[in-house]
Amino acid sequence: MSRNIVETNNLTRHYGNIKAVKGLGFAVQQGEFFGFLGPNGAGKTTTLSMLACILEPSEGTALIAGHDLINEPNEVRQIIGLVPQELALYPTLNAFDNLLYFGSIYGLRGRALRRRIIEVLGMVSLSDYSRKPVKAYSGGMKRRLNIAAGLLHSPRLLFLDEPTAGVDPQSRNAIFDHVERLKEEGMTIIYTTHYMEEAERLCDRVAIIDEGRIIALDAPHKLIADLGGGIIHLGVGQKIIDKTMLKQIRSLPQIKSAERLNGKYEIKTSHTKETLIHLLDFFKHTTVSITSLEILEPNLETVFLSLTGKQLRD
Amino acid sequence: MLYQIFSTTWKDIKILLKDWHGIATLFLMPLMFIIIMSTALQGLFYNDADKEPERIPVANLDQGDYAADAITALEDMEGIEVVTTWNNEVLTREAAEALVIEGEYPLVVVFPTDFSRQIEAREVNENATAVIELLADPAISTPYVAPIQGMVYSAAERVAETSIVESAVSSGLETIFAEVPEENRPEFTFEKTGSSIVDIQQISPPNMEAEFEPDTYQQNVPGYTVMGVFFIIGAMSTSILTEKREGTFRRLLAAPLPKPVLLAGKILPYYIVNLIQIAIMFTAGHLLFGMTFGDPLALAVISMALSAAATGLGIMIAAMGKTDTQVGGLTSLLTLTMSALGGCLMPTYIMPDFLQEISQLIPHKWAMQGFQDVLVRGYGVEGIMGEAGILLVFAAAFFLTGLRLFRFE
Repeated sequence: MSRNIVETNNLTRHYGNIKAVKGLGFAVQQGEFFGFLGPNGAGKTTTLSMLACILEPSEGTALIAGHDLINEPNEVRQIIGLVPQELALYPTLNAFDNLLYFGSIYGLRGRALRRRIIEVLGMVSLSDYSRKPVKAYSGGMKRRLNIAAGLLHSPRLLFLDEPTAGVDPQSRNAIFDHVERLKEEGMTIIYTTHYMEEAERLCDRVAIIDEGRIIALDAPHKLIADLGGGIIHLGVGQKIIDKTMLKQIRSLPQIKSAERLNGKYEIKTSHTKETLIHLLDFFKHTTVSITSLEILEPNLETVFLSLTGKQLRD
Repeated sequence: MLYQIFSTTWKDIKILLKDWHGIATLFLMPLMFIIIMSTALQGLFYNDADKEPERIPVANLDQGDYAADAITALEDMEGIEVVTTWNNEVLTREAAEALVIEGEYPLVVVFPTDFSRQIEAREVNENATAVIELLADPAISTPYVAPIQGMVYSAAERVAETSIVESAVSSGLETIFAEVPEENRPEFTFEKTGSSIVDIQQISPPNMEAEFEPDTYQQNVPGYTVMGVFFIIGAMSTSILTEKREGTFRRLLAAPLPKPVLLAGKILPYYIVNLIQIAIMFTAGHLLFGMTFGDPLALAVISMALSAAATGLGIMIAAMGKTDTQVGGLTSLLTLTMSALGGCLMPTYIMPDFLQEISQLIPHKWAMQGFQDVLVRGYGVEGIMGEAGILLVFAAAFFLTGLRLFRFE
């Protein structure tokens, strides 16, 4: 029996002539914390919306806990919980009344519902504020309540769509704590973000997504290790990058590649510090001066940059 | 500073110009209102030469000639077109009753079979009166009936006086003074003494009797209630738009909540609000102005059918409007235009024929008719089932169209 709770095959979504998501094929195991990392407009929310039965896929199939996404949407909806990117709360109602309504549409009622509301409010540390109208909450409190609403019906699979967007660092850490607790309790979570530190901290595996496609998928440490070192951006006092010099730089030890990028040298290396020493030594023996130096240590941001040539956050 | 003001103004104009639906309705709404109200009320501000004559059906059942003379005198009056046939047949009493009951005409003049006989009876009995019947819809307003009543009376009384009294007496005097030279003849003037020869009685067709004398509130309270009920479409549409904008709609779409159930859940609170609205308006009409209710069950049936139509339209507008401006514009345009066309602001029978035809396509017209059937014409549940059925058809059409157009994504 498959341990996968999510399996997709060629999942695609068009908006008119635009393909927002192109042929995604991936699987998520039970109990896994799976991340989608990509810039704004990469297709993360669209992918989540399809898996949450909000948008119908234009092509492709998906199974959620063995249920077909297109033919059994109500079964899928019972299993999943969604924490949308927008704050999906009624601002004039208090937290309790918000959760009372959201719980009722999942079939929870009576004392069982009220007990569960108290439980989830405790999980997100909002028990003392349950009777205040949501519009009086801080941004972080609203985000936590947003998460609570997604947990009410004890879903097997939780979708968290950029849950820390627009939140101050303190609240962000509080949200991380809650989310990590869910992970420890064995919940399967699909998490989207454009912050690499969140993906590195929380995710068992990360799918890097750009322009609707998954361009890399593995555990964060493996993706970084595959990069094999860092990236150095070197600006020099040359109007036009010298091809001969480029060739010479490529021949230096531990340099994996060197290219011209926007008037600078982009040098990928397996050992950043040692390469830096070689480069400085090299330029000391030339008449060309170094005008700027940027060292990108190996992390998911660097991985994204090396794969796409773009920054993760614009 | 001026530049900043100009920049801000221009920015908002550009935003507004992108919302062309909102712009169109903002300009269309007053235009439609002007066109409809001016066309509908043109009879109140007419230039004699421009006005179309009022068509008055007349059923001549008289076995003598006086009714025919009176009708001829009526035809000679300006502003009236007498209609004595229907479907190429001379109007009978049954046909006259049918015209009123079916709403083709609000009133029909009927000269009974003994009209001439009654006039001739005046020669021997100075209290004898020839009665003309005005077969009228009980819901018709007095300001409409009175001028017609006056013209019919004037024409008929003149005929009666001229034909019976003056010519008979003048003829007698000629005989008496035939031998007297003209310059020596005494002068005679005729003074009318005693009561009028002609009397006009307003009656209702069978089964259309008003239990109570219709009053102004039985016209106005239903009219403004129906108009007010349809204002719910703005509140409904805005609520749905707000849910979409604030993201709660997205959460609901991810929940095991079928889409028709989701929409029905949005409709029900406003349906209840509508019923409460109607109850409050009618109760206020009763407590403040002494308006009578008629059959409460029939009133409830019409109210429920009306609320269904209003909330169905609310869903349709929610599906069509993408911004607050669009929704607001559509709401104003539809509620005011439909209220005017449907007879909420003025009775439909004073409108030109083509507007009366258009009003058949407006739910307000059927709601007004239903309410007046109960309040004024004294109908029970059986009598208003037609109007209630039509309102439910409107409700279904609006809801299904809304469901079809609604973007759940």
